[in-house]
Amino acid sequence: MALTALEIYKLLPKTNCKECGFPTCLAFAMQIAAGKAGIDQCPPASDEARETLGAASAPPLPKVVVGTGERAVILGDEVVLYRHEKTFYHPTAFAISVSDALDGDAFRDRIRRIRSLSFERMGERLAVDMVAVRCDSGDPARFAAAAAAAKEGAGTPLLLSGPCDALAAALPSLGPDRPLLCPPVGEGDAGARLAAPLGLPLVVRAKGIDGLEKALAAARAAGVRDLVADPMPASLPDAVSLSVYLRRLAILHRAREVAVPTAFDLGNGFPSPFAAASLLVTKYGSLLVLDSDDPADIFPLLTLRQNIFTDPQKPIQVEAGIYPVGKATASSPVVITTNFSLTFFTVRSDIEASRVPAHLLIADCDGMSVLTAWAAGRFTGESIAKILSESGIAGAVSHRTLILPGMVARLSGKIEELSGWRVLVGPQESSALPSYLRRLPPAAFAPADA
Amino acid sequence: MTVANPQQTFPGRIMEVTLPAGEGGRSVSVGGQTALPLLPEGERPNAAAIGIEIRTGDEDLPPSLSHAFGGKGTDPAVLAGNLVEESGAQFLFLSLAGCHPDLGGHAVSRGAGIVRDVLQAVPCPAIVGGCGEEETDALLFPAVAEAAQRPVFLSYADEKNYRLVAGAALAYGHGVVAWSPIDINMAKQANLLLGDIGVPPHRVLIDPLTGGLGYGLEYTYSIVERIRLAGLSGDAALARPILCHLGDSWKAREALDSAEESWGDVIARGRRWEEATAWACLAAGADLLVCRHPDNVRTLRGMVGAPWR
Amino acid sequence: MPEPKPGTLRFLPEDVSLSVAPGETILRHAIRAGVPLLSPCGGEGRCGKCRVIISGEAAGGDDPGVLSEAELSAGVRLACRCHPSSGTLTVTVPPGSRPARLAAYLEGRDAAGDEPFLPLHAATGGRRPLGVALDLGTSTLAGALIDLSDGHLIARAAADNPQMPFGEDLISRIVYGEEHEGGFALLRQLLVAGVEQVIAALLGSGPAEGEIVEVTAAGNTVITHILFGASPAPIRHPPYQPVLREYPVRTGEELGSLAAPSAPWRLFPSLGGFVGGDIVAGVLASGMHREDGVCLLFDVGTNGEVALGNREFLMVCSSSAGPAFEGGEVACGMRAYPGAIESVRIDPETLSAEWTVIGGGKPLGICGSGILDLCAEMFRTGLIDRAGQFVPRSGAPFAETARGRAFVVAGAERSATGSAICFAAPDLKSVLRTKAALCAAADSLLTAVGLPRDAVERVYIAGGFGNFLDLRSALSLGVFPPFPLEKYVPLGNASLAGAIGAIRSRRRWREALSIAAGTTYHDLSSDAGFMEAFQRALFIPHTDEESYRKVLASRGGR
Repeated sequence: MALTALEIYKLLPKTNCKECGFPTCLAFAMQIAAGKAGIDQCPPASDEARETLGAASAPPLPKVVVGTGERAVILGDEVVLYRHEKTFYHPTAFAISVSDALDGDAFRDRIRRIRSLSFERMGERLAVDMVAVRCDSGDPARFAAAAAAAKEGAGTPLLLSGPCDALAAALPSLGPDRPLLCPPVGEGDAGARLAAPLGLPLVVRAKGIDGLEKALAAARAAGVRDLVADPMPASLPDAVSLSVYLRRLAILHRAREVAVPTAFDLGNGFPSPFAAASLLVTKYGSLLVLDSDDPADIFPLLTLRQNIFTDPQKPIQVEAGIYPVGKATASSPVVITTNFSLTFFTVRSDIEASRVPAHLLIADCDGMSVLTAWAAGRFTGESIAKILSESGIAGAVSHRTLILPGMVARLSGKIEELSGWRVLVGPQESSALPSYLRRLPPAAFAPADA
Repeated sequence: MTVANPQQTFPGRIMEVTLPAGEGGRSVSVGGQTALPLLPEGERPNAAAIGIEIRTGDEDLPPSLSHAFGGKGTDPAVLAGNLVEESGAQFLFLSLAGCHPDLGGHAVSRGAGIVRDVLQAVPCPAIVGGCGEEETDALLFPAVAEAAQRPVFLSYADEKNYRLVAGAALAYGHGVVAWSPIDINMAKQANLLLGDIGVPPHRVLIDPLTGGLGYGLEYTYSIVERIRLAGLSGDAALARPILCHLGDSWKAREALDSAEESWGDVIARGRRWEEATAWACLAAGADLLVCRHPDNVRTLRGMVGAPWR
Repeated sequence: MPEPKPGTLRFLPEDVSLSVAPGETILRHAIRAGVPLLSPCGGEGRCGKCRVIISGEAAGGDDPGVLSEAELSAGVRLACRCHPSSGTLTVTVPPGSRPARLAAYLEGRDAAGDEPFLPLHAATGGRRPLGVALDLGTSTLAGALIDLSDGHLIARAAADNPQMPFGEDLISRIVYGEEHEGGFALLRQLLVAGVEQVIAALLGSGPAEGEIVEVTAAGNTVITHILFGASPAPIRHPPYQPVLREYPVRTGEELGSLAAPSAPWRLFPSLGGFVGGDIVAGVLASGMHREDGVCLLFDVGTNGEVALGNREFLMVCSSSAGPAFEGGEVACGMRAYPGAIESVRIDPETLSAEWTVIGGGKPLGICGSGILDLCAEMFRTGLIDRAGQFVPRSGAPFAETARGRAFVVAGAERSATGSAICFAAPDLKSVLRTKAALCAAADSLLTAVGLPRDAVERVYIAGGFGNFLDLRSALSLGVFPPFPLEKYVPLGNASLAGAIGAIRSRRRWREALSIAAGTTYHDLSSDAGFMEAFQRALFIPHTDEESYRKVLASRGGR
């Protein structure tokens, strides 16, 4: 079990020497407990402390890197079973398959479709991570050429899936790109002999946890360091339970024998691949291979992945900007608040409840609530005046009247002085907005020049 | 196997709740389990239940749904009958959105009349939802409670209106859906408040507010997971079945927009948007799902059955 | 009395006149004229406490949301939003709008002050060496006079912090200082004047023929910076660090005080921007830094700090609990002055409130202990539910007010202000937020170090409020975490007690320095679990009601 901050503190010198960069030994201990610092930052630490804390901080699930450079994919390296306990670090990777049996145009078209599976959401690019090249032709030379073409066309790291002679044919040119090798079940040993000397990552395929334990041991014995396990589920329920059990063994039981990232081939006729992929994004699949290149399938899955792999401890923010609520027009009131999402959702729903259409103006305050942002100097007369002039709200409404949260009524003078807008002090609590908005005379929002 | 046994046991058990059916219908029970979802461990007497939502009022249907509903009727009772039969939904979620001043402004009596008609036409268990407008709902729930000629669940009671909704439910023998805004503590508080005024625990479902895919689903995911872990660990006020209403997944621009061709066919995409939301909720621990797309009801129904009991 | 000249503003009943400064509010004029006027929100039109009655020409301050029709037509205005015009204006400050005479909330226990006194100064020429220990609070300045030849305490005294018109909270005062030329200098001047008032009261209160030879002062970081002459502004900007943590010894003269010009002033060191020397002094007085068992210390003041630890470690945080337990943020709230309702009982049959008033007579408002009593009684009689909402039981004295539904504690005919004393829904929310912040801060500290709640052996309650607290009533609301009643120890004004301890003993002063050096500050704003702990504790008594039920079922405690 992980040590508490106080237990760690008791192992430290307790001199508050600050050499670690933290003000006190206890503060340092809390950082170690949170996994944000290591005992190596404490020069005076005793050998006992180093030994105890070093062992406790080793990651329970090793990291495997596929590919190189900017588009390298990291599998594994997770520390918790539930995202609320900390966060999930490395998103489930998606690989879309391409068959080496496709002829030239069809192959290129397939790669083009895979490459276009890329979507912009919430300021983030969501895209397929890998291409899985399947050897269906049985021809090593054709496979090698297809793999090279896939690499060239898609630009992503590759999963190479095929018999070892085909893999061997592809490696001379692709080995330096660090592909993930995936030999068939019977060829595990040969695959290990291919991967080991080149230091390449290898998918070990075997039925169930028992089978994997043996196969992983064999691959380790052959010298492969970066291992990924495919437990070869027969059905959707089987896939979910195997994935959950492998992760529990790694995190809860520290079972090093089977603590490796997982890969699931949801193509090749696997039943209900969309359902399986959805469930395995939430339940610990490290790499999923899909045959579908339909954006109607892939976009929802990538969005689900974006959701699940968001850090739950980051302050929840919404984007700054103008949010019309109801059928807001040029003469609708303008209400301002901060971009803490709870604040935003509360204020928006209270405006909705008023049934008075309004423009909700959201200020970027690092996800702080109104009072916190004000206290921290992020929600000030100056910053609000700046938003009034730069957000485009002046073009969206014909009046110049702003409704300010009652908590920061004191900013009204400064805002009026700097922006020329008139400020109405709104209620202290958002819950009073409905009655406040309903009582406002429409004359308050007459055009500025009237 | 030389590695440890990865199965987990918990001291708690989720309360079993039965949604009663009308004459000729099949009641549905949820809860009763001692284990996390989708795993072959512990006791799991009931599979997750899949229901379908019918909404009254003037709302534009998402393209995917108008495609699915085509020719199935517009009268709520007819539409409900057709969709339930076709999809195999185990329960009906009837939302009286039409009573909202902006969505039709139906009189309360009309809302109550629709409830009576639909419940007569469709014998499966039912949950009746208000219109979401506080003042209207305050009148609507008592009228619905009276109009429903058989026990249903009223959706929903929150921290503000729980006395009214639970009062109406208690007077006519209905159950209550206890709603809270993606917050495990408020979920527990809602159940405690309902307990304080005498609603029996086997007549309460937790609605943790389900964010749609891409729009807050992750918060719901973690809250459902935590509510379930807390319930199984012995927190009785949280050991209740969880209902996830997937309606918000139909508000996502990605589920509605037909202009973005690179996003794929909007009819297929909209359906998938709801389906992905559904699977995430099931993985987290939901016991009841409310879908709008009949094909999703059928898909989910077919898959969450026997192997995942 | 002659008619005042045009352009003159006259305050009654003081009968102080001054010429009108264009653009300034009546409140600003009152500050300049030295007329005491309540304005806990810092003059931003939030609290509605600076009601004055005007006769003459003025503009503004007629906010209909705050003032009733009747008040408006009677000439009542908000001084902070009302501007005199060029004519003459007479402003009457009614009793409800002035800070009442300060009652003593000074008693504090020094739980660790057990050693024999070693004289540091000898009496010379019949003049006794005197020490002044000060607690510089956000709202109150308190002091004690000690005979340093034998260590005995001669007198205690207190005064309102004269900075109060610049905001009940510290941030408002920083903002004032930042936005006004010479603002911090003015705040310092006011503070020193308040301190001198306290010292004068101390010297005048006993037969103390002597000379002040030493001063110790414990205050929060902002106040201490202002007194020292350092800018507190960096505290509210990233990276939120104070300019100083330790303050070199200065003479009174160097600090601008003529009350003890040549005496060395020792200012208690600060731990961080929002955790200051007052909590260091509180820890010192509690003695928790010497104990084997783990202790918690709640300093329930205007801000509310929580400390956790023992002789092995110490950790503190600022809970940002509001001042509701001091009567702040509650419309009818006031501090524990004469005229404040200090305890409340609600008849379960009639549902009407009975109360006792400090000093007797009709009430002006409710102080912290009265507010807690009121809430506990409303909860007990089913007038509020566990979510903190009023339950409209028939016969209960609820009224609809401008601030929403309110419980009428005292009708207009029974109150000294002439208008009803009402406790409205937002007031209840303030109380719940304050108590939730305290509980959540304690939970967050325990979680941060990884200790379970039952590892805590003693719980100290510092702050004048603790002396008057009905612990059972407080725990029935969940004001503190559910520790067994016998673990709670009230300390009273521990900050002053710590300052006294440090002036009586050099060793204690060194302890204070080492407490400050070795204490870990825990920043709750970056503690991901805090908001959730806060939400848990907003419920009455708490979402974890089971633990409270167990504690309240036992027979322990005082």
